[in-house]
Amino acid sequence: MSTDVFAALASPVRRQILELLIDGPQPVNSLAAHFDMRRPSVSEHLRVLRDAGLVTEQRDGRHRHYRLEAAPLSEVRDWLSPYERFWRTKLRNLRDLLDETDGDRAGDDA
Amino acid sequence: MPDDATAIAVDEFLPHPPARVWRALTDPDSLARWLMPNDFAPVVGHRFTFRTDPVPGSGFDGIVACEVLAMEPERLLRISWRGGPNLDTTVTWRLVPEGRGTRLFLDHSGFDPDDPGHQAARRIMGGGWRSHMLRRLIEVLDAPPPPDPA
Repeated sequence: MSTDVFAALASPVRRQILELLIDGPQPVNSLAAHFDMRRPSVSEHLRVLRDAGLVTEQRDGRHRHYRLEAAPLSEVRDWLSPYERFWRTKLRNLRDLLDETDGDRAGDDA
Repeated sequence: MPDDATAIAVDEFLPHPPARVWRALTDPDSLARWLMPNDFAPVVGHRFTFRTDPVPGSGFDGIVACEVLAMEPERLLRISWRGGPNLDTTVTWRLVPEGRGTRLFLDHSGFDPDDPGHQAARRIMGGGWRSHMLRRLIEVLDAPPPPDPA
């Protein structure tokens, strides 16, 4: 388990950056516009996220885009709460089971 | 829902009426299919076990000892959930009609707040981040990778 990932997530600013990246890669300028801090500070936060493997940087001409990387987050998920993952899996099983055995669905509608 | 490190809360929308969901929660054969093999009976006070594979190194021998604590047909089922060296917890399912289906809320509470894992979780995942953002991140994890920026 990488402690870098947890150190990176301990900052509210860095968590917010990850949230902003959920919907897709963004250039640094767009990210920086969300924060009331100087651009070098944002860049420093991005560096920490990059070192932790949570984001990657891509150059597109003069622009740098940042992208969320899912792999280290699976570590977090597994470590945070095995039971949360357990129940999500089981509830999906339940949904699948109900969908398969669809016999009396219509008759039960209230 | 308690937003603390001693409870887990997840929910799932099921496109089926509460009566069907209730049966899946209280019929031992159905429970075995989506959860674990068991000798459950829908009677308050009934003691039973879920049986699964042991988890090496964790002290969990694969047996979850349970008791039916509360039942309100098509609304609520609560059982105790004891397993491993020091897991003494409670699992509550609540069924809420939603449109033509049911939203199933699951609350698993009573985890040890002094457990190092839970303490760290609380420190890192304060506020709504744990319940809201982690969920979205998990959806991202389960989804195919996004396309490259054009």
